[in-house]
Amino acid sequence: MPLRRRDKLITYLVVGPFAIVLAFPFYWMLQTSLKSELDLYNTENNPFGWGEGSPTLDNYRFLFSDTQYVHWLLNTVLVGLVVVAITLAVALPAGYALARLSGRWGQSMGVGLFLVYLVPPTLLFLPLSRVVAELGLQDRLASLILVYPGFTIPFATWLLMGFFKSIPRELEDAALVDGASRLRTLVWIVFPISLPGILTVIIFTFSLCVNEFVYAIAFITHSDSKVVSTGIYTELIRGDVFYWGALMAATLIPSIPLALLYNTFLDRFIAGFTGGAFR
Amino acid sequence: MADSSKHTDRPEQDVAGERTTRRKILEKAGVGTLLVVYGGAATKTAAAGVPKYRGKELKETLRIVQWSHFVPAYDKWFDNVYTKRWGQANDTEVLVDHINVSDIPARAAAEVAAQSGHDLFFFLSPPAAYEDQVIDHKEIVQAVTRKRGKMGQLAFRSTYNPRTKKYFAFSDNYVPDPANYRADLWGEIGIKPTTWDNVLKAAPKLKAMNNPVGIGMSNELDSNMALMALMMCFGGFIQNDKNRVVLNSKGTREALKFAKALYEQGMSNEIFAWTPASNNQAMVAGRLSLAMNAISITRTAELVNPDLAAKIQLLPIPAGPNGRLGLEHVMGCYVIWKFAKNKRLAKKFLADLETKYIGAFENSKFYNFPSWPNSVSNITRRLERDPVAKPAAKYKVLGEIAAKYTKNVGYPGTSNAGIDEMFNKFLIPQMFAEVAQGKRTPDDAARTYDGQIREIFQKWRDLGKI
Repeated sequence: MPLRRRDKLITYLVVGPFAIVLAFPFYWMLQTSLKSELDLYNTENNPFGWGEGSPTLDNYRFLFSDTQYVHWLLNTVLVGLVVVAITLAVALPAGYALARLSGRWGQSMGVGLFLVYLVPPTLLFLPLSRVVAELGLQDRLASLILVYPGFTIPFATWLLMGFFKSIPRELEDAALVDGASRLRTLVWIVFPISLPGILTVIIFTFSLCVNEFVYAIAFITHSDSKVVSTGIYTELIRGDVFYWGALMAATLIPSIPLALLYNTFLDRFIAGFTGGAFR
Repeated sequence: MADSSKHTDRPEQDVAGERTTRRKILEKAGVGTLLVVYGGAATKTAAAGVPKYRGKELKETLRIVQWSHFVPAYDKWFDNVYTKRWGQANDTEVLVDHINVSDIPARAAAEVAAQSGHDLFFFLSPPAAYEDQVIDHKEIVQAVTRKRGKMGQLAFRSTYNPRTKKYFAFSDNYVPDPANYRADLWGEIGIKPTTWDNVLKAAPKLKAMNNPVGIGMSNELDSNMALMALMMCFGGFIQNDKNRVVLNSKGTREALKFAKALYEQGMSNEIFAWTPASNNQAMVAGRLSLAMNAISITRTAELVNPDLAAKIQLLPIPAGPNGRLGLEHVMGCYVIWKFAKNKRLAKKFLADLETKYIGAFENSKFYNFPSWPNSVSNITRRLERDPVAKPAAKYKVLGEIAAKYTKNVGYPGTSNAGIDEMFNKFLIPQMFAEVAQGKRTPDDAARTYDGQIREIFQKWRDLGKI
C-alpha cells in the first residue's frame, strides 16, 4: 500500500507540472474572455485577478450579436465532417492496400505519401488558387472541401497503413478460408479491429480542418462562408486594434469540444497512433 | 497493443448499437442543428419572394474586398448603408468582403495567380507592382475631377506612373500620421515633442519614468512609415525627384545615428518585435510616452479609457534638421483588375464614392481623409467639432498635418514599383534595426541597403515601369 501511494505521488509530481502548463492557455483564454477592455489594458492590475468592470460577459455578447461567429462555427463543422468522410473513404482502402496488397513497394509508397503531407500550404496555395478559380469555387466552402483532403488523406493513409500492419494476418486468412470476400473481411473483421486507428484519423482530420488557415484565408473572403480560424482573425483584429476579450472567447469555445473529444477517446487515440509503431 | 485495443473496442461498439447513448444523442443533436440552421437559411431565401433575376433581386453584382476597418462602425456603414443604397440606385448587388490588413498581399497574389477575384480590390499602400494586372484608372480620375476639382498631390504621386502615363490605382483616401504623445508625462519634464532634438532630450527621462518612446524597427507597416518619415526629416531619401535611388546619403546616415541614440537612451528592445498593434496597445496600456501612428490610438483610448484618452494629444511629426516632412500612415488605393468581371460598375462605384466622401470621412471618425480635398467641405470645422475629443478641437491638427506635412512614400519621387517592392520587403526598418542593434555602422547600413534597393529599381526599370 505505501508503495502504491509513493508511486502515485511520483506520478502526480511528474504529470502535475505538465498538466498545469498545458491547461494554462485554457485558463488564460477563459479569464481574458471575461475581462473588460479597461481591465485588460491597465498594466497595474493583477493579471490573474479582476479589475475595473470584470468579470463581464460583454465579450461573449459582442461575439454572438455583432459578428457571424455562429455561422463560422457551423461552416467549420460542416467542412470538418465532409472532409473526415472523404478522408475515410479514400484512406481506409488505400491504407489497407498499401499494408497488405502492395508487397515491398507498399512501404516506400507509404513514405512517399507522407512526404506529400509535408509540403507546406504556403507553397501550394498559389497554384491551387488557379484550380479553385477554374472550378468556380472561390468564396465557397466547397473549395476547402476540395483542397483539405490533399493534406488529410496522405497522413490518414500513412497512419492507417501502420495500423493495418499491426493486425494479425491470420484473422483475415481465417475469414477468407471461411468463404468471406475481401470486402466482407474488411468490413466485418479488419475495420472493427481498427477502430482506434479510425477514430484517430477522424479526430486528427477534424482538428486539422479546424486549425487550417492558409487555404481558408486565400480562398474565402466572404463573411458568410468563412470558417472559425479566419473569421475571428479578420473580424476581431481590425487594422491595428485587437479585440482581445472577444478573440479569447472565440478561440476558447471551439477548443473546449475538441479537448473533450480528445479526452473522451484518449486511450483509443494513443492506441491509434502507436498501433503500427513496432511493426 | 493491437490486441488490447481490439478487446476494449468490440463490446462497447456492440452495446452502443443496442441502446441510446450520450454519444448518439450528441450526434443526433449535431446533425439536427446543422439541418435547422442550413434549412433555415434556405427558408429565409424563399421567404424573400421570387427573385427578379436568376437567384437574386438586383440585376448586376459588384464584388469588393477591403480590410476590416479599425472603426467597426465604418464597415457597418459601408456594408449595410452606403453600398446598399448605391446598389439599389444602380440595380446592383454589392458584396463586400473583409480581410485582415496583413493578408492583403497574399490575397492579391492569389487573385492574380487565379486571374479571378473581386471587381474592386483595396490596398493600404500604392500597389505599383501590379500595374500590368490592372486597368488604367484615368477615366475614374477624370470623372471625379470634373465634379470635385483637382486631385490632391499626395494621391496623384501615389497612383500615377509618369513613365507609363498610367493610373495604376485609384485612391479614395489617405490617413494622416500624427505624433501621439502623453501630454501629462511630457508636461512633467517640461518639453514638447515638436522636434526630434526635443524627443532625444526627453527620451532618457521618460524611459526612467517607465514610459519609453515607441517607434518600431520591425517588419511591419507602422515601422515603415515612421522610419521613412524620420529619415526625410534628417534629409535622407530613398529616391530623388527623378526616381533615382539616393539612399546612401549624409541625411540617411544622420537619421540612422539619431535612431540608434534614441533606441539606446529612450526605447526598449520591444521595438524590434513591433507589430501594427503594438503602438496602440502600449499607448492605451499607459506604457508609451510617444508613438507615430494614425488616430486609432486615441480613438481606441476614447472607448477603453476616456481619462487616458484626454492625456494623449496629437502633434505634427517632430521637425528635424531638414524640416518637418511626414508621410501618410495609410494610402487607401482601390484597383480594378484587368480580369474583373464588372469593370463598368466598379468605375462608377469609385467615382460616386469619392464624389460624396463625407459619409466615409465621418463614419471613419476622421481616419479616412479624401484624396480629392474638395470631396468633403469644411474639413477643419468638422474636425473642430468632434463630439468626444478632449480637449475640444483635439483633432483640428489633423487638417494641418494633412495639408502641410503629408507626403507620398518615395517622396520627392513618385510611388513606383521599386518603392512598392522595397516597402513590402521592409528594407528600411531592417536597416534601422541593424544599426540600432550594432550589427552595422550607419555608413555600412546606408551603403548596403542602397545597393539592395538599386537592384530592385533596376529590375523594374528593365521592365519599363520606372
